[in-house]
Amino acid sequence: MGSITTVIDIERELATRSPQDILAYALDNFDNIAISFSGAEDVVLIDMAYKIRKDISVFSLDTGRLHAETYRFIEAVRKHYNIDIDVVYPEAARVEKLAKEKGLFSFYEDDHKECCGIRKISPLRKQLLTVDAWITGQRRDQSPGTRAEVPVMQDDKAFARPDDKLTKFNPLANWTSQQVWGYIRQNNVPYNSLHDKGFVSIGCEPCTRPTGPGQHEREGRWWWEEATMKECGLHAVNIEK
Amino acid sequence: MKITMVKKLFADGSPCKKCGEVEEKMRAAGHLERLDRVVIADEADPASEGMVLAALHTVDRAPFFIVERDGQAPEIYTVYFKFVKEVLNAQTSEDDEIREIMNDVDLDFL
Repeated sequence: MGSITTVIDIERELATRSPQDILAYALDNFDNIAISFSGAEDVVLIDMAYKIRKDISVFSLDTGRLHAETYRFIEAVRKHYNIDIDVVYPEAARVEKLAKEKGLFSFYEDDHKECCGIRKISPLRKQLLTVDAWITGQRRDQSPGTRAEVPVMQDDKAFARPDDKLTKFNPLANWTSQQVWGYIRQNNVPYNSLHDKGFVSIGCEPCTRPTGPGQHEREGRWWWEEATMKECGLHAVNIEK
Repeated sequence: MKITMVKKLFADGSPCKKCGEVEEKMRAAGHLERLDRVVIADEADPASEGMVLAALHTVDRAPFFIVERDGQAPEIYTVYFKFVKEVLNAQTSEDDEIREIMNDVDLDFL
């Protein structure tokens, strides 16, 4: 993949295309590419990708704190599609240090960032060092405040290898939750049984709860923390292009 | 090599917290003197130099760094630890790097 300009140009081209088209582009253009599967409704990515290419590479982060239902679901997906799912774990020494120093629920007293840093970001970084591109289930409607401008393709500078490029695809960026669930129903895609119990957004067990009618899915995650305004964005509305 | 840091002012005039933190880190590490210019992106003023540079380089994050070398296209760094490592050739700790990523990345999709 070439320069940032190239990525932006291609993104513009792909922005109005279907998730399947975006996935096809990604899988056609990158051999060393992996799907990040959270064990939630992003399973649709696996279904779509599997219909394009059977030898898809999938990984899941096992934080050690997932719901039993999610572990069962990851295993069910592995068997359903007959694919390998690379389960990635946090560094035991770092988890032990955190638990020893702050206990098992420090995130309720501090915030979720330290724990997520150890259990999610650190192993994710290691995993992404091994690929040239990755695919996520990020959607704009998941977090209108901070994710309103998620592109379908981007130059991932945070997780790229030193002096190298990493391309991130978000094929579902333009889809709504309703479209995702329409796809799941129409294609008989297996899904996490937690969704039948009112969970919309699914993460670690202590940090996820069901949401009720009228609540945004983000209200089911880290609900004890105040919603914080993202401070690093330059508001595009003010930028004359 | 010429390095420009672009930092942000919110539309209400208040400074961007992350920009301040990055600036403080650079000061503590003695890196501030490596900057040739610090430019303000004022969200209330689309014509401010920083906003114009953000639009020119298609950047939607702050702070960011523009690294210009003779005969080469400018390089843009929106990730501070990458800038420190790749441009200033200095070390950063894994904890600091993860902390920076945590501030910029939503985690509910993982």
